[in-house]
Amino acid sequence: MSRKLTVIFLAMFVLVGAMGLKTLVAAHADGVVVANGTGPCPPLPPNR
Amino acid sequence: MLGPTQFLVWSLGILLEATVLVCAAARHSFRRYFFLNLYMGTTLLVEISRFQIVRSFGFSSQEFAYFYYYSDALLTILLYFVLISLYALVFDEMNAGSHVRLGAVLLLAGTALFSYAVIYQSSGKILSRFMIELSQNLYFVGLVLTFVLWGAILKLRETRTRVIQFVLSLGVYFSAFAATYALRNLFPNLDWPRTYLVPAIGFLLPLAWAHAFWRVPEEARLAPARLAVVPR
Repeated sequence: MSRKLTVIFLAMFVLVGAMGLKTLVAAHADGVVVANGTGPCPPLPPNR
Repeated sequence: MLGPTQFLVWSLGILLEATVLVCAAARHSFRRYFFLNLYMGTTLLVEISRFQIVRSFGFSSQEFAYFYYYSDALLTILLYFVLISLYALVFDEMNAGSHVRLGAVLLLAGTALFSYAVIYQSSGKILSRFMIELSQNLYFVGLVLTFVLWGAILKLRETRTRVIQFVLSLGVYFSAFAATYALRNLFPNLDWPRTYLVPAIGFLLPLAWAHAFWRVPEEARLAPARLAVVPR
């Protein structure tokens, strides 16, 4: 039971860390970057 | 409109992705690293489809934009599973498979919930916004997960060269993505990160994986001392 709770805690810890990092890197900004594949990245779709 | 250089880079990328699959099959590593090969195979199919859509509808078309961002979300989810499969390999001897799976599902669900919470009040096409937001958030989750995995590799003294190379390549890839993301947000008018840097980052994984499959045998081991100096 305690191992499961540890896993849940770790998962939430990673999520908070990742979202914190994202906020730190780009606070109040709306930039979108994707990097799967080597194709050119198009502009965002309208009214997304 | 795309220039010949961009088409050349794109075609080289597609060729390199196919090379990874060929190298994995030639070295009999297709099933052992199934999720890596699934991700690379799907990337290959998606890239070929994107190529066809650009030829049919044009680079600035809505069709291409929607297909690009939806397929990117799918590929990012697959990349997340690649990372989880590497976790499963590293923690294999600890019999922690069920815990890794539980953590992975929780984290994916948490990221999806967070993404939905960010966009649910926005107007317009909510599904498109959700897919883009989820994709961006998963990149950052992937970045943190990769560094946590690298910490575990050092702590557990993992010596499998291939596994180490896969994890390091993902670390470089996610870090480069985060740097590009920061650059885009610091200088929103700069166009070259989107035009040149993003495709360049796309080369990182196929290059590193093709090298790992072709040049590094499955039995290759690194001495722990070469990974980190740990006081005894």
